[in-house]
Amino acid sequence: MSGIFETSNQDSALTIGGTRVSGQEVRSQNVMAALSISNVIKTSLGPVGLDKMLVDDVGDVTISNDGATILKLLEVEHPAGKILVNLAQQQDTEVGDGTTSVVIIAAELLRRANELIKDHIHPATVIAGYRLACKEACKFIADQMALKVDKLGNEALVNVAMTTISSKILGGYGTFFAEMAVDALKAIKTTDYRGKPRYPVTAVNVLKVRGASARESSYFTGYALYRPFTSQAMKRTLKNPKIAVIDFDVTKTRMKMGVNVVIDNPENLEAIRKREADISAERARMLLDAGVTALFSTRGVDDVYVKMFAEAGAVTVTRVPKEDARRIAKGTGASLLTTLANLDGDESVDPATLGSAELVEQVRLADDDVVVIRGASEQRASTVILRGANDYMLEEMERSFHDSLCAVKRVLESGACVPGGGAVETALDIYLESFATTLGSREQLAIVEFANALLSIPKQLSVNAAKDSIELISKLRAYHAAAQKASADSPRSQLKSYGLDLHNGKLCDNVKAGVLEPAMSKIKMLKSATEAAINILRIDDMIKLLPEQQPEDPHAHM
Amino acid sequence: MAAQNNVLSSKAAESAAPKKQNDTFNQKDKPTQVRLSNITAAKAVADAIRTSLGPRGMDKMIETGKKEVVISNDGATILKHMSVLHPAARMLVDLSAAQDVEAGDGTTSVVVLAGSLLSAAEKLLNKGIHPTQIAEGFQGAAIEAVRILEDISIPVDLEDREFLLKSATTSLSSKVVAQYSSVLAPIVVDSVLRVVNPATDNNVDLNNIRIVKKVGGTIDDSELVSGLVLNQNAITSAGGPSRVEKAKIGLIQFQLSPPKPDMDNQVVVNDYRQMDRILKEERNYLLNLVKKIKKAGCNVLLIQKSILRDAVNSLSLHFLAKLKIMAIKEVERDEIEFICKATGCKPIADIDSFTEDKLGLSDLVEETEANGARIVKFSASKSAGRTASIIMRGANQYVLDEAERSIHDALCVIRCLVKKRALVVGGGAPEIEVSQRLFELAKAQTGFQSICFQAFAEAVEVIPTTLAENSGLSPISIVTELRNRHANGENAAGINVRKGAISDMLRENVIQPLLVSTSAIELSTETVRMIMKIDDILASR
Repeated sequence: MSGIFETSNQDSALTIGGTRVSGQEVRSQNVMAALSISNVIKTSLGPVGLDKMLVDDVGDVTISNDGATILKLLEVEHPAGKILVNLAQQQDTEVGDGTTSVVIIAAELLRRANELIKDHIHPATVIAGYRLACKEACKFIADQMALKVDKLGNEALVNVAMTTISSKILGGYGTFFAEMAVDALKAIKTTDYRGKPRYPVTAVNVLKVRGASARESSYFTGYALYRPFTSQAMKRTLKNPKIAVIDFDVTKTRMKMGVNVVIDNPENLEAIRKREADISAERARMLLDAGVTALFSTRGVDDVYVKMFAEAGAVTVTRVPKEDARRIAKGTGASLLTTLANLDGDESVDPATLGSAELVEQVRLADDDVVVIRGASEQRASTVILRGANDYMLEEMERSFHDSLCAVKRVLESGACVPGGGAVETALDIYLESFATTLGSREQLAIVEFANALLSIPKQLSVNAAKDSIELISKLRAYHAAAQKASADSPRSQLKSYGLDLHNGKLCDNVKAGVLEPAMSKIKMLKSATEAAINILRIDDMIKLLPEQQPEDPHAHM
Repeated sequence: MAAQNNVLSSKAAESAAPKKQNDTFNQKDKPTQVRLSNITAAKAVADAIRTSLGPRGMDKMIETGKKEVVISNDGATILKHMSVLHPAARMLVDLSAAQDVEAGDGTTSVVVLAGSLLSAAEKLLNKGIHPTQIAEGFQGAAIEAVRILEDISIPVDLEDREFLLKSATTSLSSKVVAQYSSVLAPIVVDSVLRVVNPATDNNVDLNNIRIVKKVGGTIDDSELVSGLVLNQNAITSAGGPSRVEKAKIGLIQFQLSPPKPDMDNQVVVNDYRQMDRILKEERNYLLNLVKKIKKAGCNVLLIQKSILRDAVNSLSLHFLAKLKIMAIKEVERDEIEFICKATGCKPIADIDSFTEDKLGLSDLVEETEANGARIVKFSASKSAGRTASIIMRGANQYVLDEAERSIHDALCVIRCLVKKRALVVGGGAPEIEVSQRLFELAKAQTGFQSICFQAFAEAVEVIPTTLAENSGLSPISIVTELRNRHANGENAAGINVRKGAISDMLRENVIQPLLVSTSAIELSTETVRMIMKIDDILASR
């Protein structure tokens, strides 16, 4: 029966407006594309990974060590490659860390799957094996490897932050920034309406200021705004300010489109001009009368009105970015006013829309003036000021810092972490291999390959550190095998937290050494890598259509 | 047959003569050639998507002319994007689309079946049977096949949710999203059950089920909302609420922004007092509108998208926020009907007709954020119509699109059950049963009819064969064992893809609507008959 399809020669019989690649060929092509993507970023993995310099067509330079950032800037053409790029991006948005590892694992899974399929194992079997292995692996991490943070205390949080930072440009100042990240995040703790603690990472305001070394970076509670007070004549510090945040111009009023000012009497000209100025002056007066002493505007304020505020002892900040304005409003309990109109058809300032804080001041940072709001009444904010030698460095610092914030947030919210340095991957490798032998079906082979694919992480870590990967990995495997054989209370079971110490080229207990990662990020990483690999493996046919082809004569090929 | 080769209007022959590539027109056995060429082209299509059949089928990746990437397992979707050129091959593409409309599922099977029938026909042609006879014979066989299917089908009761769940799961199991079928199947079944009245309805209007797609999260996070879900966000820039309890929903088709004079007209100001009046008028105009809206009791306002004027401006938003009215703008025109049905509101085209009876009700309208995407949920109220919304989540656009197609297929499966309340088992079991019984029938007949029945019976076995092949099993041993089991009276024996063995499909809960199977056989047979009857292709202009 199956014979009916054998005789037909696909390539000649099916005429489509494009090219078609199917079967083993397309699989190999896809795997190749995935591998080349992973090759690009694999040297960036780990604490001793190296950076990439990316130059775009305009000449802008980005230097980064972060997988997602690198891949975002690469122009990947191949559709299978794009899936991997998406994967890294998704890991970045959902977890914020582990973007390089996820791509490396996915590519390695694909490479091994392709080998299996070449050995005449049906792709469906490989996929089923991978799914099973992934499920087991996630269960193993949650049951065996995860450590509760409340037991480990604050130190563990710092360690988690340090582990992510150590692989990035900030690595040299690990503890310094790790503590900063933990403090910054703890300062902004809020609870949502279900009473669950939340750590909105966006509430940590990161300012980048060029000059001085990274060690000069500082952190304080309060909200800093990279804008000076509008006028030199204003006070430098203001206690207990009443804050208004507005989103309209305090400039000369112009009539709208479609309204023409036509004057037949020259005397009227002056009156109209005066009125144009007065409309805003009235608004400024209204604000001052309501007791506003600090005005933040997302738009402009003309000099005339700035003077009014300065004379009244108030301060103004103009051209505040909208995002900042919103956060200031939220933090101080003010509302962002888009207009002063009230429900009677007139204009007035409602005192309820004003916010308050303990202090507004202008401080000097390098060459720039920065406005800082301290002790906002509603919500705490924390600000981190990063210092660095140049813009590239600052940007990379911001990304690294953001990654560590995300990692700490995950641990705080989920409350579990796992030892890093390849410990989890090696443990999983041992576990899955023994799990595979309990299965009598064909999936066994795929599970073993899945297990071995995970080893690519510790391998790459030690290769990047220029250490003997073969020796280290064999030793590490031996440790973990011993740990899993041992009973829970024997001292040998503690070997499960052993991982690589890349600086010394040895093995060490990574829980004690403080190399920790959020458990959730590891689980998510495995899940999405498996998912992406399966996505690509399931493809056995690729059809590329010609771009906007002319409708061909349907008889031509007869 | 060659004898029939008429002179084919000599005109065409003349015009073709100067062109060398049209030598075919001068050949004597042209009708046979045309037929064979058609069969080859159509078979190639079937061949191309054959590997996508069944729960372990593979996917196709298609890069369209616009460089968009489609990854799919759905026969109709693949073929639609493939831009097949040969006219006979196109017929198979249309066949798949027809199955999609008629049954919604089984779009791959129908094409594979047609390809197999064509191969059978080719063999019969080589034996010297006249194409018309083949067409007739197949027609007869198809009628018998449908009868057999109806005979072995199991009647289903729409009250039996379990049964529906099983058939939705079977449909989903062959898709990319198979591993999430435990999440998606209940969503599908419940959404259909919500929109139909099982006692009276015999069709489902799938327009009453709205699918909202959002990138982010995983498919696990997908959910069914009994009311309405909007993609648009509540506008909070002026501090308006994003959560309203006991909502009264107004849907307006006018704008809350100051009217502009026509292009040619202008407002002329020549006194400073008039400036104030203009500003004040604008405020009062908007204030009036908003106050009227509030007066009617409305607290959630949906504003239809307009290309002429801004739907709202900062001033009207400010007023709305002050009066605690939640505003959502940019509602698309084609969403209006669904919104009206779901909330029970009526679109309001003019402020003067903004009255309370036109408002829709909802217990809770809330903007929620999950996995980086915001949506507004309207919980259903009692007065609302029978509608359902499905929120689809997925890691990326490809997965999401494919998930939507799969959901659509599963919805269609349930719709088929509403249309024709009977089930057959899956896993290739009905096909084997049909094949066996047709063989029996063939024995009772004589002449070409008997041969055609036999050929048809053999061709139908392509489904279990392909299923076995795609699952990495040996097709020969599987199909022969199936034949054996069915001969021994095990009607429901089919391929258990997961275990790689043969088992009772009814016990494995692999079931599909009768309509999918019968329509696949009817449609594919009709297409094959049509291809059989073509004996010439002429270019027309």
